[in-house]
Amino acid sequence: MADILKQLNEIFVDLLDDESIVLNENTTAEEVEDWDSLNHIHLVVAIEKHFGIRFTSKEIQSWNNIGEMIESINSKN
Amino acid sequence: MLFNSLPFFVFFSVFFLLYWFVFNKQLKLQNLLILVASYIFYCFADWRFLALLIGVSLLNYYLGIFIEKTESPKHRRWLLYIGLIQGAGGLILFKYFGFFVASISLALTKLGFNTNLDTLTIIIPLGISFFTFKTISYLFDVDKGKIEASKDWISFFAYISFFPTILSGPIDKAITFLPQLKKERTFDPHIAFDGLRQILWGLFKKIVIADSCARITTQIFENYEGFPASALLLGIFLYTIQMYADFSGYSDMAIGFSRLIGINITKNFDFPFFAQNIAEFWRKWHISLTAWLTEYVFTPLSIAFRDYGKVGITLAIIINFTICGMWHGSKWTFALYGFMHGLYFIPLIISGKLNKKKKIPKHQKLPTFKQAFNMIVTFTIVMLTLILIRAETVTDAFHYFINIFSKSLFTIPYIPSPNTDSILIPTVLLTMVMIIIEWIGRSQNYGIEKLGFKWNKYLRWGMYYVIIISILYYQSKGGDFIYMQF
Repeated sequence: MADILKQLNEIFVDLLDDESIVLNENTTAEEVEDWDSLNHIHLVVAIEKHFGIRFTSKEIQSWNNIGEMIESINSKN
Repeated sequence: MLFNSLPFFVFFSVFFLLYWFVFNKQLKLQNLLILVASYIFYCFADWRFLALLIGVSLLNYYLGIFIEKTESPKHRRWLLYIGLIQGAGGLILFKYFGFFVASISLALTKLGFNTNLDTLTIIIPLGISFFTFKTISYLFDVDKGKIEASKDWISFFAYISFFPTILSGPIDKAITFLPQLKKERTFDPHIAFDGLRQILWGLFKKIVIADSCARITTQIFENYEGFPASALLLGIFLYTIQMYADFSGYSDMAIGFSRLIGINITKNFDFPFFAQNIAEFWRKWHISLTAWLTEYVFTPLSIAFRDYGKVGITLAIIINFTICGMWHGSKWTFALYGFMHGLYFIPLIISGKLNKKKKIPKHQKLPTFKQAFNMIVTFTIVMLTLILIRAETVTDAFHYFINIFSKSLFTIPYIPSPNTDSILIPTVLLTMVMIIIEWIGRSQNYGIEKLGFKWNKYLRWGMYYVIIISILYYQSKGGDFIYMQF
């Protein structure tokens, strides 16, 4: 879990170009500046590529926080 | 019963007294009062469709409960489809059916077929575009588990028919609205005064700015072929101001009246004329509609198209904005308006600047040259595209647009009408006053939210009185709200 969170953090920092991002399982989109609907798609694509997985449309739209995103990643590994 | 009319003033005063003095601290009765008042308000607007409003509320209320109770994903999907068919079906039947029949009939006639399809004239239920979007988002959110289905029918019916927002929005989501009806509301004079201030600013924008602009733009658009290009440019400039002042003025009043009864409504405008590109403009203009479309149209589409990179994003944006245009009604001008806005995103997508937000710090007194240039370019694009919303047909819009680019652009915009000539200069000056006030207050929720807080008390109250007097001076001249037709 912690390892996935660390990797996600790196993807977020890299893609949103913001070194100050520190994610935890309860982090939501509202709390991260620039994590808007468009960047969400970019993040999804980057996460899928990084972990070599494919999310369903329903999964992507159901996440309420980082923890739920991690659960989806875990369920595919 | 418009917000800026005497009947509404009487209606709201009675409602306000009952709400805070007779039913104070009786949550259920306060909610019931909101519902009854909403139905009375709706009947004043158009009593013929009250049964439709109640029927839609009832169906979606039970659909929400059944979706939540149903465990089988397949059955849940079917229940969701019933809601979608009702919502989309209602919109198609009332708003678009006549248009489809007329378009098909025209196409067949042009191909040489003789059709006997009569053009249908269907009366559109007021507020249908607004309350339908509420029910659809509610069912989606219940299905995704984002909110619990409401088991309190009074609150749910009041949410769908809430009188400050039913005719022209903002389109509030159940997730933010319904929890407020569960909490006891106590009268807070600071919040109420803030609501009154927002209503005041809304009235100023509607009555002083929008209605003054309307008197000039109506003259120009109805006889545009007889005007020099400079007058046409002035016409569309003032129409852009009118559209903003009218709709954001209405939204300010809706939010203000809601604040007076202790309910917070979502923001609908965030000073869009200071946007530096088209993406930022749409984050600031009719926010509740764009947020809705982003969540339920753009996001699913962009997820589906995510393997196609920038082409996928472009396609999702173009479809999203064409739907946004069509939401306004069944005219090709509206569809083209949305489609054009979708196209304007392409340079931003290609350059990768779509999600780069350019914030202007609130302490910055004046925009830099580059910021001002970006704002003017964005405003000009928005302004020229608005010809499509104002014009009757695409051909009219095209002619109006082409006529702007002629030699007479460099003449004085003379408008040969005694009525408009005398109000032109005051209208332009008052528009400038509005823009300056909104620039100063651009980091707040509305233009005058904190204006004058650091001034002498008498000076600040003097400002409020000047606004009130200007509203009363212009009030007698009257004018409907543009967005009620959508």
